[in-house]
Amino acid sequence: MEVFSEVYSCYYQVLRHLLCRREALTVPDIRSQICGEGFEESMLSIIPKLEDGTWNLFEKDGELYRSKLSPSFTTPLSNLEKSYLKALLSDPRIGLFLNQEQLHDLNHMLAGTAPLWRQEQFYYFDRFYDGDPYEDENYRSCFRTLLQAQKQNRYADIDYTSPNGTRVHHHYVPVRLEYSVKNDKFRLLALQQSRSSISSNRRGTQTKNESGKNSDTAAGSDPDYSKHWPRMRLETLNISRIQSVELTDKVLPCSVDINAMIRRSYYKEPLRLRIVNKRNALERAMLHFANYEKNTTKIDEDTYECLIYYNRNMETELLIEVMSFGPMLTVIGNDRFLNNLKTRLQKQMELHADI
Amino acid sequence: MSDFQELVKRFPKTREYVRDFFVYGFKTREEFKDKSPRTYDNERRRLESWLGKYVRKDYVTGGSNISLAIDSNLLDTNPLFRVWKTKSFTDNDIVLHFLILDLLQDGAGLTAEEITGRLLTEYEALFDVQTVRRKCNAYEKEGLLHRERAGKRLVYSLDNSLAAWIKSNEGMADALAFYQMAGCFGIVGNHLTEQLDFRNQSFRVKHSFCVHTLEEEILLSLLDAMNKKTSVRLEIKSSRNGAVNTANCTPLQIFTSTRSGRRFLCAYLSKGKRFTCYRLDTIKVVTPLEQSENYDELLSMLNRNRGLLWGVSFQGKDQHHLDRLTMTIQAAEPCENYIVERLRREGRGGSVTRIDKNIYRYETEAFDCNEMLPWLRTFIGRILSLECTAKSVEQCFYHDLQTMYRMYQIHTKSPDV
Repeated sequence: MEVFSEVYSCYYQVLRHLLCRREALTVPDIRSQICGEGFEESMLSIIPKLEDGTWNLFEKDGELYRSKLSPSFTTPLSNLEKSYLKALLSDPRIGLFLNQEQLHDLNHMLAGTAPLWRQEQFYYFDRFYDGDPYEDENYRSCFRTLLQAQKQNRYADIDYTSPNGTRVHHHYVPVRLEYSVKNDKFRLLALQQSRSSISSNRRGTQTKNESGKNSDTAAGSDPDYSKHWPRMRLETLNISRIQSVELTDKVLPCSVDINAMIRRSYYKEPLRLRIVNKRNALERAMLHFANYEKNTTKIDEDTYECLIYYNRNMETELLIEVMSFGPMLTVIGNDRFLNNLKTRLQKQMELHADI
Repeated sequence: MSDFQELVKRFPKTREYVRDFFVYGFKTREEFKDKSPRTYDNERRRLESWLGKYVRKDYVTGGSNISLAIDSNLLDTNPLFRVWKTKSFTDNDIVLHFLILDLLQDGAGLTAEEITGRLLTEYEALFDVQTVRRKCNAYEKEGLLHRERAGKRLVYSLDNSLAAWIKSNEGMADALAFYQMAGCFGIVGNHLTEQLDFRNQSFRVKHSFCVHTLEEEILLSLLDAMNKKTSVRLEIKSSRNGAVNTANCTPLQIFTSTRSGRRFLCAYLSKGKRFTCYRLDTIKVVTPLEQSENYDELLSMLNRNRGLLWGVSFQGKDQHHLDRLTMTIQAAEPCENYIVERLRREGRGGSVTRIDKNIYRYETEAFDCNEMLPWLRTFIGRILSLECTAKSVEQCFYHDLQTMYRMYQIHTKSPDV
């Protein structure tokens, strides 16, 4: 079984989509498909092969290209893919997606296939202990309803218990279900109509509502959002804290650009770290912060500066991560982050002074 | 650069370059010391071609840097999966792929001779039987085709029932959309989502490390050895100094850190009679060796010892078998109960005891308490005391703390202020 195989290559994928088109294609049609799906220079390789007939997969009819393949052409699954599916059957989260009957059917179809891996072959040594209850029927039901609402852009009536124990009942539009590998938890990113019409348009503006949930102002200063519907804000809810969910008939009229909302929530001033490459600090830090958007530049032979972009929701976690490096990293900005770090150090110094 | 090819034959070199650009993202042409400038230019051009929209160029003194600007909060898929889709192929490969599979779509079995004949009559494609048979056999090996004897004939057929079943199940599409982002071998999940024309528009994954996908080929070899209970020879390239070493060991389990972005192979070294861990990103080649006779015994032994591992180290600097660490912290009740929760949730089985109002003690035993230091530092601002039977751990913690006080100019507040 090979992971790096031409069968899975980008060119094969582009060609399959071209070959499954029912209508005859012009060269601009082909170009457009390659531009959308291929690599930047794929056109230079693919187009000549089709034009000169080396890849004899189309019938040429003047300027038109007609596929020789059936439009229902399907690539069968490889052993690697079947083994992958078989391994998923043992994952505790699979029950969120498939019911017992579907699991049974899939298992039956994969009889004789060995799983690509077994759960016990992996050990996540620093994963948190309080992962979500994936086997719980109410949890599964809430998860499926939220997923349905997200796909249909529908408001969901959510009954939620906040971390401080307050029961909250609101209508939300689920926009994404976010899984944390570290926490082994799902969170719901959802839009909620802001009750207050007063909201700052500043970048990074966030509010902490009465239930203790973090929220970003969704509309921000974007006139398109404000024009189409009342101001919405983005909230994060732990799915395990949701008691019940009901779908409503109300639909959000158009889709939401979640990435634009997240980007708008980032602080203008990134975290600025100075890294002196001792005790392999550079490599450690670069890998540790690899899941943030960052930009690293070399200052001199052993010193590097790394900018990390983040928002208020990520702030505490990022602070904790930076503190875990101790003196191997130096925070040089922004002021807000630096002050938070200094406050923690000051408190620590005072604790020891008190003993 | 007339010899430039967008696709590549082998993955290992690509793996190193992509990792360097992604993880570091600050090296200029001159800093890739081990490679020729021509190689660097070609690799860089490929990277820009494959991952164009994530490539950032910065002009600095001494040249320009390219780096990969990937913000995992904004991703519906792992952009580095594209690197796996770059395998080169021949003209025959791609033509035969589509024509043979199209010919067999109805599920009927055909011999290599029959396939060859029908390629000519139905598709006007001329191939010799040997070439067709070779491709059919390769596809049978990969699981794309079935091969069976029908009397004296050796026939090839194709079964699309599984693909059809997946296509008709929305839940399966959701599962694949999720697992390609969140699980092991996400690249295989991604192949499937693309093959079946699904797209992830529902899930995001936090704390996932895109760069892990570059290790999947190595991981596959290791899992294969683990399943067959064989020993392996590893070729390892140090991440610190680039030195290449080999190690013969019995692979037992994959250890993953969800925080640091590192994955390790935990293995048993027969020579040294001990367990050890190797970072997956430093393993360059895996060669299977002989069957390990006491594999199950070694695995049980590892499972018994694992409870005393904090991370991946089986012995501390102080050479003790086991060390005990006690940390006392302050957490105001009830508003800071989440701190106590953190100790329970993140403390890897250590005990948490309330010893007074707002005062809690965390205690644990581990082979190497030095590995706990990064986690302990996350409680800075609340630590009343820290004691460890490995004195070097205590010393390191307090020494680092003093260094940080100096770095950030933290002074004791004078009483009259």
